[in-house]
Amino acid sequence: MKIIDSEIYSLPKDIDYKKEYLKFEAALPEGVILEKINKDKNEIALDYLIAKEFEEAKDQLTPLVEESYNTGVVFYLPKDVKVDQPIKIEFNMDDDNPVVINQNIIVADTASEATIIIDYTSSEGVEAFHQGITKIFAKDKAKINVIKIQRMDNKAKSSDTNIGFIKGQGQINWISVELGSAITVSHYSNYLEGEASGSNLSSIYLGDGNRKIDLEYSMIHKGPRSISNIETKGVLMDEAEKIFKGNLDFKKGARRSKGVEEEYVILLDPTVKADSIPALLCHEDDVEGEHAASAGQINESKLFYLMSRGLDERKAKKLIVEASFRPIIDKIPFEDYRQIVIDEVERRFMDDKN
Amino acid sequence: MKKTLLEIKDLKVNVEEKEIIKGLNLQIHEGEIHIIMGPNGSGKSTLAYTLMGHPKYEISDGEIIFEDELINDLRADERAKKGIFLSFQYPEEIPGVTVEEFLRTAKTSVTGKYQGIMAFKKLLKEKMEELEMDEEYATRYLNQGFSGGEKKKNEILQMSILDPKLAILDETDSGLDVDAIRIVAEGVKRVHDKDKSILVITHYNKLLDYLNPDYVHILLDGKIVKTGGMELAEEIDKRGYEHIRAKYSVH
Repeated sequence: MKIIDSEIYSLPKDIDYKKEYLKFEAALPEGVILEKINKDKNEIALDYLIAKEFEEAKDQLTPLVEESYNTGVVFYLPKDVKVDQPIKIEFNMDDDNPVVINQNIIVADTASEATIIIDYTSSEGVEAFHQGITKIFAKDKAKINVIKIQRMDNKAKSSDTNIGFIKGQGQINWISVELGSAITVSHYSNYLEGEASGSNLSSIYLGDGNRKIDLEYSMIHKGPRSISNIETKGVLMDEAEKIFKGNLDFKKGARRSKGVEEEYVILLDPTVKADSIPALLCHEDDVEGEHAASAGQINESKLFYLMSRGLDERKAKKLIVEASFRPIIDKIPFEDYRQIVIDEVERRFMDDKN
Repeated sequence: MKKTLLEIKDLKVNVEEKEIIKGLNLQIHEGEIHIIMGPNGSGKSTLAYTLMGHPKYEISDGEIIFEDELINDLRADERAKKGIFLSFQYPEEIPGVTVEEFLRTAKTSVTGKYQGIMAFKKLLKEKMEELEMDEEYATRYLNQGFSGGEKKKNEILQMSILDPKLAILDETDSGLDVDAIRIVAEGVKRVHDKDKSILVITHYNKLLDYLNPDYVHILLDGKIVKTGGMELAEEIDKRGYEHIRAKYSVH
């Protein structure tokens, strides 16, 4: 199924974004660099930008961003440094600033740790456009948590590519929340390169109206005993369409590695379209790849049970959907953002005819 | 003379084209406890689900009248709002929703009134204490990982929180040990004491030792074939359903 048509998906002409998006004001530990991306000035970033690893990780969308970005951050964490406060980045697209093309580069040196939250919103009725690429280098024992929340308006389009390189016992944990925009592309590729490198990707998505959702999650295991985990919960209603590709790729040298991917989607209307394409690629014998997927309507008995307690059909369905999202939402370590996500799911249900 | 709460007139119910309830009549007044006993396959659970409005149970004939209103076509949530409650034989597990959140949502829906968090917490704590339930249950996901007995207690907890006019208990006593039966029975009695009506559907008489039913009905092949008092339950207990079938069956 081809969801994204190249003709409707071209870069807009006016690409200035003038609003403040980096919301972090607390004092940072010594040596930490946190600045807005600038084509000439981010030396650290440039070193990593030309790193050879990126050559193989590029997809057809990344060069556009790399050449035409108007926003983004560069974040460098020196060895052993932990930043306790989350780095908050908020893009709110509106009539005057309808385009965000962002390139974010995060480099976490040995045993450093930080959490980054990026929240994408857009004003109602604005044909906003977001295209982004986030690149993370996590060195040995570094731990980077990234939470991405996309809750743009139904007129907006959003495409987001994320690439993680994990060295040694480093770890990148992603939480991806996709609740809005007319077209959503969300790609994650993680290269687990070291011994016992780790990556977790937890995501929820909600498709309502005519939303088209394209998800591709890849865990590329190169190092021995590397561990990856993908957990995705979705709900589709109205005429929404979704394609999910989950790839567990065990390269030569990834002995005794383990990858798990699970995707569960609730189909609330018979008019939705859901495709799942899991792939398991093994160049080593001694690896463990697990895959589980299910797509189905809400169990009639569960629905009746909830309705017998006074909940009307829509409330009962909403409760079941929220319940399925809950384990992922609960992983967001900040109450205010958990509430933002819960409220947005609720709002999407209230607007809906279900 | 007490007001009639529920009246079932010549009810016929099909499940997947097969007639299970074949002309059932029953009248329950306010404050009465009724027991329907019957062997497996007699239509007990079908009756319970039909009264609650399960869409799979199709009423082909007859009337269900609740407080002078025909409710044949009402959905389950509408019936709940009118004050009908069903304690399920097999309560569903809903992972991701805690007992407390669920009950607060249900109470809000049934009463149409917002339930303040603190006031509701207090109510829940009180009801849980009555049922000798550990407070910890409030924060657990609804029925997930609950034992059979815990699920049944949770049903009774829901009943006491939602405070229905008519509580239908479908095999609530099955799978309970002696202590749990006592606690459940006491919970039912507390609801009954407030002049609420109870319809117990069962094939044992375990719960009956604690309750003092006004009527015992025997359900065979989709019809009530005999109505009496506790002596009927005792007769079933002593002589079994085969005897009852031979004696009361209307062939």
